Amino acid sequence: MRHRAVPFLAALLLFVASALAQAAEPVAESSVKAAFLYKFSGYIDWPPERFAGAQAPFVIGVMHDDEVAAALERLVPGRSVAGHPVVARRLEPGDPLSGVQLLFVGGREADRAAIRAGQQSGALVVTECPEGLEAGSAINFVVADDHVGFEVSLDAAQRTGHHISSRMLSVAKRVVQKGT
Amino acid sequence: MLRRLRTSISRKIMLLVLVTTASALLLSAAGLVVYDLRSYERQWTGDLNLQAEILARASAPALSFDDHQTAEKDLSIIRARPEVLAAALYTDEGRLFATYLEEGERPQTFPEHPEADGYHILGDEVVVFRRVVERGEPLGTIYIRARYLPWDRVLDYLAILGVVMVASLALSGLVFGWLQRGVTAPILDVARVAREVMQRRDYSLRARKASDDEIGELVDAFNGMLAEAGRRAEALREADRRKDEFLATLAHELRNPLAPLRNAVEILRTPQATEQMHERALGMMDRQLRQMVRLVDDLLDVSRITTGKLTVRKSVFDLREAVRDAIETVRPFVDSREHVFEVSLAEDALPVDGDRARLGQVIGNLLHNAAKYTEPGGRIWLSAAREDGEATIRVRDSGIGLDERSIADIFDMFVQVDRSLTRAQAGLGVGLTLARRLIGLHGGTVTAYSEGLGHGSEFIVRLPLVEGEAKPPEAPAQEAEGRSDRPRRILLADDNVDFARSLAEVLERHGHEVRVAYDGEAALREVESFRPDFAFLDIGMPKVHGYELARRLRERPETAGCVLVAVTGWGQEDDRRRAREAGFARHLVKPVDPAEIESIVAEG
Repeated sequence: MRHRAVPFLAALLLFVASALAQAAEPVAESSVKAAFLYKFSGYIDWPPERFAGAQAPFVIGVMHDDEVAAALERLVPGRSVAGHPVVARRLEPGDPLSGVQLLFVGGREADRAAIRAGQQSGALVVTECPEGLEAGSAINFVVADDHVGFEVSLDAAQRTGHHISSRMLSVAKRVVQKGT
Repeated sequence: MLRRLRTSISRKIMLLVLVTTASALLLSAAGLVVYDLRSYERQWTGDLNLQAEILARASAPALSFDDHQTAEKDLSIIRARPEVLAAALYTDEGRLFATYLEEGERPQTFPEHPEADGYHILGDEVVVFRRVVERGEPLGTIYIRARYLPWDRVLDYLAILGVVMVASLALSGLVFGWLQRGVTAPILDVARVAREVMQRRDYSLRARKASDDEIGELVDAFNGMLAEAGRRAEALREADRRKDEFLATLAHELRNPLAPLRNAVEILRTPQATEQMHERALGMMDRQLRQMVRLVDDLLDVSRITTGKLTVRKSVFDLREAVRDAIETVRPFVDSREHVFEVSLAEDALPVDGDRARLGQVIGNLLHNAAKYTEPGGRIWLSAAREDGEATIRVRDSGIGLDERSIADIFDMFVQVDRSLTRAQAGLGVGLTLARRLIGLHGGTVTAYSEGLGHGSEFIVRLPLVEGEAKPPEAPAQEAEGRSDRPRRILLADDNVDFARSLAEVLERHGHEVRVAYDGEAALREVESFRPDFAFLDIGMPKVHGYELARRLRERPETAGCVLVAVTGWGQEDDRRRAREAGFARHLVKPVDPAEIESIVAEG
């Protein structure tokens, strides 16, 4: 009886602890990431042919992370990028990606299919997993010491026709380029 | 002290140059300092603003993506500006985000919260705040603190000014030295000469002329004035000397006739004297008296010339008349010196507008001189003719002649040629001066020529002719004499008893009834019982003087028609005017020729 109770208790404790961590941590981190996503847009040249027209919205697609999506939805109203109103859109794998400028693929594990789909559609892909850049994303969030940073793959950005400002690169934790 | 202030013009100019230079430098330096302080502040704060802007732009991504390390790296680029002591980056919420401190700068507390954009100066530091804005959104604030040391610059300026000042003053000194040579030295030389002239009364000193500019002109003018002053001093001395000689001559000449007169009186008193002796004595007295009268007349003329009151009474007449008068007057003297006298008069009349008596006097004087300055037995020529539209009279002699210098100043007052002769020949040396003045008053000229000493001389008088007929000559004297026998009642008033009695005797001998009074009151008493036709009144009389007496006589009905004649020693124009105003009809100057009185009585 005693032996059965110990794993349960341990599991319960773990759950509570993780629940507490989940409750405190993700709120701050997700809103920081949402703000970063919006801020990236200011340091990147967006190919004009990706927009349907002058009034077409600047769409930030979010996959696998409802908290980031929610934070972004709170953040973007009234903001614009190069004259296009910013719109946040929650996406599921397989959703059409036309009109999406910036695609955030959440999750600790790289959703390679989603990343590839985003790249093929011409969107700039942002991930938050350790192997993100290797999986093909252009920007990947890295969290160290409770501090959100990011790394950049210039090759990936170049493939989709995006140019990232050196000012942004100066803040990046790591910049990956062909040959390095 | 006063002396030091006055000492020298060079000191004043030195002071002027130095003060001018120094004040110009100080003023311009002050202006520069003020300008520089203002521009330093503007430039430095502008510069810091620019730095802040650059930092803001550079650190915007770090701020955006919350990257402290990069932010601090970004801030540290300001190290290139050593004047910047500290810099900091604040987040939009006002939280200190990143900081930078100049090496060696002690850690300081940064402001807890950022302030609004702008700068302010705190002592020797300036603080700048500037917002970091990206895509229109405020991200945070940049803070820069830098050194602000305008006084260092002012000190630099003062040091430079000091050097410039010393150099400028040295240069001014050099310039002044040059000025001193070119400007003040000649002026000081003039001042020195002026001082010497004043001390030594030596007008032959001259200032040295060093340049051809205004100062040179000044020196020339100064030397010219010295020469003029010297000439005048010499002229004054000369005039003074002549006046002294004149006085000596005058005393001598006035004394000369007195001895013969006294001798004549002695002869007349001698009972044994024969009729012949009486005649000779009387003739002698007459000649000597005439000579004295002539001298005194000359003296009066001198007085008129020196006071500028010489006047002439003009009327149109034939100049030949005046020549004949003069010949008549001088002929006895010419004959006495046994000269050959040749006269040539124009056949036609020479009408001139002038004073016949005065012109006669001038011609007579020239003839007299010719006779006087020619050794006995010489020749004298007189001509009166019309030459070049002018009446021209020439008096030439074969006498002692004149040297050049004499010709130049022979017309000056009191000048006489050849003292030795002068002593022998009477005269005061005013004749030619008088002649020139009188001829000048007639609009004519008188000039002297001579071929040198011993070659005789010639005096030429030129007078403007008047068109038209000369007035007929005045009534001959005989007519007056014809009436002179008419007996008249005559009153004589004079405190000079001898003069009054002798004149009364002369008039009584001509058949007139004469009363004599010796003062004004006596004269008034006389007229109560005696209605005179003529009254000859002295002016300077006791009790009632002549002018007053004349007025009273004019007021009385019984003497209102009486002819009043002033007889006085005062012959100036002023005296004549006063006499006229008092009611005198005529004015005679003593000594009076009895013949003159007789002719007045005859005319009246």
